[in-house]
Amino acid sequence: MRGGMIRPMGPGPHFGPKMKQFVPRLPFDMVLCESAFPRVKAAPDESAFTQALLKRNADLSPTPAEQAAVLNLVTKIQAVMDNLIVDPGNFDACQIEEVRQVGSYKKGTMMTGHNVADIVVILKTLPTKEAVEALGKKVCDDLRAQEPQEVLVLTMLPNDRGFEISNSEATVRVLVTTIHQNLRKLDPELHLDQKILQSHLAAIRHSRWFEENAHHSTIKVLIRLLRDLRGRFEGFEPLSPWMLDLLAHYAILNNPSRQALPINSAFRRCLQLLAAGLFLPGSAGISDPCEGGNIRVHTAMTLEQQDLVCLTAQTLLRVLSHGGYKQILGLEGNSSIASEMSVWDGVVVSALEKAYEKPPERPPQDDDTDNMDADDDPMETTDN
Amino acid sequence: MYWSGLSAAANAAAAYQTGQTGYPVGHTPTGTYTTQRAAGSTYDTGYQTAAAAAATHSTAAGTYPSAAASATYDYGYGRTTQTAAAAAAAAYDSSKTYYAQPSTATAYTGADTHYHNKTAYTNAGAYTTTSRQTTPVVTPKTSYTSTYPGAAAAAATATYNTSPYAVQTTTANKATALPVYMQQTSQPATAVAAVKTPGNTWQTFKKQGTVPNKTQKPKAPPKPQQLHYCDVCKISCAGPQTYREHLEGQKHKKKEAAAKAGPTPSRHGASLRCELCDVTCTGADAYAAHIRGAKHQKVVKLHQKLGKPIPSTDPVVVGGTTKTSTTTAGTAVGAKTTTSGTTAAPTGTLAATTTTTTSDGKKDDLKEDLLDLKEKDVEPVGQEYIEEIKNEEGKVISFNCKLCECRFNDPNAKEMHMKGRRHRLQYKKKVNPELVVEVKPSLRQRKLQEEKLRRQQLREEMWRRREEERLLEEEERWYWEERRRYEEECEYLDWCRRYPRGPPGPPPMMPPGMPRPPFMPGMPPMMPMRRPDSSDDRHVLAKHAEIYPKEEELGAIQKIVSNTEKALKMVSDYLAEVDAPKEQHIKPKAKKEKEEVPKDDDDKKDGDKKEDGPPRMLKGVMRVGILAKGLLLRGDASVQLVVLCGDKPTRTLLDRVADNLPKQLAVVAPEDKYDIQRVVEEAALVVQNIGEQRISVNVTLTSPIMREQLLHDGDSQVTAVKDPPDVLDKQKCLDALAALRHAKWFQARANGLQSCVMVIRILRDLCQRVPTWGPLNSWAMELMCEKVIASAGQHLSPGDALRRVFEALASGLLLPGSPGLLDPCEKDPIDAASPLSAQEREDITASAQHALRLIAFRQIHKVLGMDPIPPPKFQRGGRFTRKRRRDNSTGEGNDSEGGDGKKDKKEDEDSKMDMDKDTNSSKHLMVEGH
Repeated sequence: MRGGMIRPMGPGPHFGPKMKQFVPRLPFDMVLCESAFPRVKAAPDESAFTQALLKRNADLSPTPAEQAAVLNLVTKIQAVMDNLIVDPGNFDACQIEEVRQVGSYKKGTMMTGHNVADIVVILKTLPTKEAVEALGKKVCDDLRAQEPQEVLVLTMLPNDRGFEISNSEATVRVLVTTIHQNLRKLDPELHLDQKILQSHLAAIRHSRWFEENAHHSTIKVLIRLLRDLRGRFEGFEPLSPWMLDLLAHYAILNNPSRQALPINSAFRRCLQLLAAGLFLPGSAGISDPCEGGNIRVHTAMTLEQQDLVCLTAQTLLRVLSHGGYKQILGLEGNSSIASEMSVWDGVVVSALEKAYEKPPERPPQDDDTDNMDADDDPMETTDN
Repeated sequence: MYWSGLSAAANAAAAYQTGQTGYPVGHTPTGTYTTQRAAGSTYDTGYQTAAAAAATHSTAAGTYPSAAASATYDYGYGRTTQTAAAAAAAAYDSSKTYYAQPSTATAYTGADTHYHNKTAYTNAGAYTTTSRQTTPVVTPKTSYTSTYPGAAAAAATATYNTSPYAVQTTTANKATALPVYMQQTSQPATAVAAVKTPGNTWQTFKKQGTVPNKTQKPKAPPKPQQLHYCDVCKISCAGPQTYREHLEGQKHKKKEAAAKAGPTPSRHGASLRCELCDVTCTGADAYAAHIRGAKHQKVVKLHQKLGKPIPSTDPVVVGGTTKTSTTTAGTAVGAKTTTSGTTAAPTGTLAATTTTTTSDGKKDDLKEDLLDLKEKDVEPVGQEYIEEIKNEEGKVISFNCKLCECRFNDPNAKEMHMKGRRHRLQYKKKVNPELVVEVKPSLRQRKLQEEKLRRQQLREEMWRRREEERLLEEEERWYWEERRRYEEECEYLDWCRRYPRGPPGPPPMMPPGMPRPPFMPGMPPMMPMRRPDSSDDRHVLAKHAEIYPKEEELGAIQKIVSNTEKALKMVSDYLAEVDAPKEQHIKPKAKKEKEEVPKDDDDKKDGDKKEDGPPRMLKGVMRVGILAKGLLLRGDASVQLVVLCGDKPTRTLLDRVADNLPKQLAVVAPEDKYDIQRVVEEAALVVQNIGEQRISVNVTLTSPIMREQLLHDGDSQVTAVKDPPDVLDKQKCLDALAALRHAKWFQARANGLQSCVMVIRILRDLCQRVPTWGPLNSWAMELMCEKVIASAGQHLSPGDALRRVFEALASGLLLPGSPGLLDPCEKDPIDAASPLSAQEREDITASAQHALRLIAFRQIHKVLGMDPIPPPKFQRGGRFTRKRRRDNSTGEGNDSEGGDGKKDKKEDEDSKMDMDKDTNSSKHLMVEGH
């Protein structure tokens, strides 16, 4: 029963879904419309900037010793898990379906000083907290059995994503999830959070996508630089690693010639894209290649966060164009350039203010924060 | 009455003519029809038969209107209802003339009116379905009386008639449908009844099985023994006092009630009962525990004391009792027959089937119960989830199963629990979905099944009803669709009116000339194009309407400009005239000039002279700047003209023109007063009108030679020296030439680009309003807008286009290191925005970045310096998209979608009023933002 009967007399027609539908648009992107903007004067020399970028990347990359340590621990844990799959023995707290390496370790975008590798364990059984803990204990015990000398340094810490096993040099985060069929049987009281489980499944898809599409080394370098940027500038905090991966891939490969852009152009382009509102409401943004239904990755951020990210990028872009790359890369100065006024060659670069305002409270609570976004994203709910 | 119709026919003479020519050709087959009509020769009878012949006519309608209206009628119909109405009138009139021609008018009044009804009717019928044509007997009559008076009004009412008509038919449908519906709803009701009864009988059946074991006294009579024994609760009390208290206590009453109602069938189905204590245990282990327990021992002791018979400790299986499975089956069958006996008559087969399933289910149930009791050797699962609760001394005092959320004190019970079905089910649900737990359809499941059956029936019911509603809705929809078209048409006209220079880009909807898609019932209605109706678009349009000059302003500017142009032409004529006879006088001067100018120029000049006859000093006047580009804004009072001179303009020339111009202006516009000033340093003279609106026209003198010289010779310095001493400022002249090129470029590139001109106007306003943007020169701004909007590669709505411009600026288009804005009107690569200093670029970029985020976060009104426009009320599509929710909250649903065009406009107007008031405050906001 719909339409006519409920409706009072003489109302408007119902034409099914509204004809006008939201068509997100990509923001202005200089690289994509270069032909419309022929250069008036020759491009400035950017070799110093490029060198600085490469130097920063070298500083950020893990040392061989670190890499070896992580590799060592990951290999051992993987072996223990594989054994558990093949022969569970008397271990019946859970059954393992699959074990996969994911994240920055898998992608080759690890940073120095952060010697953490991620492994996703897919359980065939439902991931109760007890099962996860039991698995952690079991893996830890097996590891200790293998290498008795490490008994003292090896620790296992369960958390709400799974557990962490660390020795003196490296940490492996074991992220627990379950097979798809089980996801709807979850009970928040007993099991790990469904969102977390889904994000772990997504992590597997992400690393697979990355392997296939983003193996270009420039992308890896750019990801490392962006992660560093995120770590140093508070305003970039809301950007998830996956968003950074996609942004780096987009900035480097999405150009008319489909050839990888050089690192200096790509780095600047990242800031330009963010400044032009790639991750603002109303923008097509980057749709998640690992989710169906055209979900734009930036919708995982709140509106306030989107504003903050855009604002920070806008300020940094202006600083960069006035020659402040050393401060941006963290070679000099501090992160105050993003939030305070600074002077470059006599040009005053001021920080920006937030534009986002909380919508006024309305009696029907149904349209508050997400209302604005709802206008722009019909598919707002994502979990990244 | 009739005469009024006839006069209408006379009024629509044009349509009438075409109708006349087109009509007879197609009408040949209906010749019989007219003769038939003519047969009723007397006035009255003719009239009557005509009216009565409506039915036959409607059959003829198939050929008649299609032939007659194929040319005129359909065309008109394809447009709006209004035009359709007019067309209907036209068709009507044409038919009238056709009828009027062959014989007397009186004989055909009836035919006329009738025919008229017909047209009105088919007009309506075209957008309803064929069903309408099947029942014309009723409607022609009603529309006949109402539509008779006037042609135009009649056609309009004809469209109105459709809706009541539609309602009529559909309600009729509904009426017929209703009994059906009633029947169907009544059926599920009986089904429910049927479904309920077996459940009841089952219960009673159970009761029969167990009740005899119990003494069912309403109240245990007080016993004269010193031992106060309660038979119901199976306890003894210490004294009469406590005994009485016990009898009044809740526990006792509960037990009593339970005893009265008979033993409640436990959910579990089968359970073990201790007859002595009247305790039901769920399993053998529990029973054993009970028997061992203190309570049981106490009761046994008591009974021994009382000398009551002590039943054996063998458990009594409840549910199936101790009967064999065969007897169970037998009773089940018995139950089945009884239930079907009671309910078979009203419900028929359906009830019968349900009873069989239930009884079958019960049979299984019983079997399984027995089975369940036997096999207790399942593996306990989920040890990890049993939590041990310890007391302070670390002694385990109880257990807690986290899966089932239950506690037990006994380790034995824990063991049993872990083997239990409930626990296993929980384990399956929460831990390992692959665990096998024997299936046991419970009472609940059975109920669910019944529920499902009932719901299915209801659903079918729903579909049927929905189908009817759909039909109704469809008819209504065609009506609204028609309304919408009409409104759209109006909107388009309005659009044209608002942008007399030709809309920047295609209008938001189909131009009227384009053929509409054929109108077929059943085809989903579709919008031809997206309207500019996003919030940003509405704001931009409203702002644009606000800054766009008023008619009178435009008129005033137009007047002074054309007067000046005419006067300048006359000045040119005059100068040519003056110079020609006095060639002797002029020649030396010209010669002097010729000596100064380089050779090639000289040749050219000679050539020019030969072509043009007498050499004109003033070759032509052109509009440049905002005037030529159509960028005038409200309040603009200064426009620019450029006079191209045959030679380098000198101060002498300027003086001559300035001296002569007032006279010529007086000739051109004797009633207007103009004030003329010369501004030598600007190489211009300014014409200003004297009146309440001061509009000034800057007339700059320049000559292409100034630039040719620059382009041809590298050593312009040298030639410049040779110029006459009073030559006007070179840079000003070059600027005027550039302005000319800019105007040409603008007309070629920006004018055709959708939304571009509108955005440029908006930005011009911004540059004037906000000091930060002031330094951005208008040429750079225009160039930038065009490049940015054109590079989108798709049509942009005004709101999107404006946002894109801000995006481009935000991404650093003006910042150092960007490619810059190459000026297409200059030979050398020049950045059109080169006058901007680094700080200005920085500030504009920062401002644009903030503006972009304001736009993204729904605050475009702050950027535009206006009040927010509330969302239009008509949008109520939020049923499907969440995005319209806000509108819904305000939407009353009273105004139709069709009404939106007008609504919008009105709102614009209203908000404009407010905006004028509040511009200052919002401007302040915008400035503050940066």
